[in-house]
Amino acid sequence: MSSKLKRLFITVIIIQIVFLLGLVGYRETILALGRTAVLQTVPVDPRDLFKGEYVILRYEISTIGDGSNNTGTKPYIRGEIIEGNIVYVGIPDSDTNEFDRSQFAQAGNPSEEMDLFIKGRVTSSKDNIITVEYGIEQYFVPEGRGLEIEQADDVKVRVKINRSGTAAIEELIVDGEVWRP
Amino acid sequence: MTSDTPNNDSTQNGDQIDERSEESPAVQADPRQNWLKGRINQWRESGLISDDQSEAIINFESMPEAPFRLGLRFSRLIIVLSTLGAVLIGAGIISFVAANWQGIPAIAKLALLIGGQTAAYWVAYQLQFVRGFPKVGGAIMFAAAAWFGANVFLVAQSYHLGTENPDLLILWFAGVLPLAYITRSKAITVMAVGIFLIGISWKAAAQTEDAESGLQVMAILLLGGSSIYSIGLVHLSHAVTKFFAAPYLVGGTLLTIFVTFMLTFEDIFNDLTRSPARESLELSGGYVGIAVVVSSITVVSLIAGYRQAMRVERFSVQKLSKPAVLVLIVVAAWLLAFHPFTSSAPYVVIFNLLLILLIFGLITLGIVNKREAFVNVGIVFFVIDLSTRYIELTVDMLDTSLAFINGGLLLLGVGYGMERARRKLLQQFGMMEVTQ
Repeated sequence: MSSKLKRLFITVIIIQIVFLLGLVGYRETILALGRTAVLQTVPVDPRDLFKGEYVILRYEISTIGDGSNNTGTKPYIRGEIIEGNIVYVGIPDSDTNEFDRSQFAQAGNPSEEMDLFIKGRVTSSKDNIITVEYGIEQYFVPEGRGLEIEQADDVKVRVKINRSGTAAIEELIVDGEVWRP
Repeated sequence: MTSDTPNNDSTQNGDQIDERSEESPAVQADPRQNWLKGRINQWRESGLISDDQSEAIINFESMPEAPFRLGLRFSRLIIVLSTLGAVLIGAGIISFVAANWQGIPAIAKLALLIGGQTAAYWVAYQLQFVRGFPKVGGAIMFAAAAWFGANVFLVAQSYHLGTENPDLLILWFAGVLPLAYITRSKAITVMAVGIFLIGISWKAAAQTEDAESGLQVMAILLLGGSSIYSIGLVHLSHAVTKFFAAPYLVGGTLLTIFVTFMLTFEDIFNDLTRSPARESLELSGGYVGIAVVVSSITVVSLIAGYRQAMRVERFSVQKLSKPAVLVLIVVAAWLLAFHPFTSSAPYVVIFNLLLILLIFGLITLGIVNKREAFVNVGIVFFVIDLSTRYIELTVDMLDTSLAFINGGLLLLGVGYGMERARRKLLQQFGMMEVTQ
């Protein structure tokens, strides 16, 4: 291998490492500087040979309705939202932790009315109900520990959210206690 | 065939060297050896080389044949064993890390992943380029490139980021493609092309509606196949990149012809005919964006390849045939993506015609360019297509047993004819593999 190719080879490896560290740094920044919210969830427990064991998290805000029967306990759809849209969903922060009428889902850009919002992608839109994924639907656990989360009565997820609405899971709260892997 | 062709010359001159090859029946049976000996006799008779020189050349070319072939087999065995070994070690480490993910401290995880990957690259580099073990080194280089991909997913997993994300595959592809060229690795090129295709199809599927997403993914696969083949053509037109052309050409060909074959079935389009209200599906901006990018790769590659070809060769209509077929594939893929017809018939006709064009185009291309692999792929798909159409036609018309007997006889007849034709073709242009 010529010295030029050798330099290129080293450069590619460094770029690969920088990319991996960048991914780590981005998520760590969200966890360090993001605002905290607590989301209610219902977990299920699948397993994968290479991924190991993980729980799938379905959040209360994974499905959002048009607000016709809204009681103020869930966000609702404002404006037209179709499948594939990026949506911004207003959520309460961890201090209040209660939804009100100012918390809604909107496509395009986050509303100025939203104090804290989370960004997601609409995966289906039928009968005025949208299903949204936020990129925090999987929680990886050590082998054999998934079932204790799945069988718990109440599972909440503490997340950190940055200014653009990207969320990262900080920890799980299982039956009122922080769950330690 | 020109007079340079080995087989022609061997028939003319083989009798002159019979006495020299008595000691080795295996060598005598080799047409390449016979051709070479015939040529050497001609050079000797014309005074170009002396008797001693001709004997020395014949000995040199004949004797190492068996050890050389044995070496080639060992070489392949080394590659297979080393690759399997390296991949197994990598899979074991990844599986261990994944299973005990939360039990390992964050800094140790990072050190294990990045340190392991870097160490694998270092060992691969040392073996492949410094210590003189290119096969084992190449296998470890391949495993290290795969390790990088696993690391991308494992880092995503460590932050509970959804790993069912095609963007991670695209990033993996971008990370390993330059490595393929720097280390001159066909295996990593194949890996990169495969990752790209899976990633781009997955991305397209994520951008589509449920009902017709299968068709739209197939449209992206068709566009992907034509773009990969076009990239292969560009590689083929430059001496520096010619080495990498085969994975692109073979991969693009197989993908395109397979997807086209799948689209010749009416059942594939049944979902369309069942929803007549949706005369033309509105494609999302994201999907159209992906399709435009992949189509542009084809068009730009074709223009670049054509310009390069025109620098060294004169224009001929024949040179436009490959670009024309590729453009046809792109048009058919866009038609599939937009599917303007509510009936399945136009699609079935279009893709059947396209398949016939591809089959005969491949066979012709294989004959003209002396590429056995293209001829074989064309013949295999011809037989598969013929069998499929026969079953489709006769399933409602004939008694089942009669249909099987007729079909069997037909296939045997076609097989016999094809085998004869193939043997003749291969004898005419020698055993030239597309991967050479």
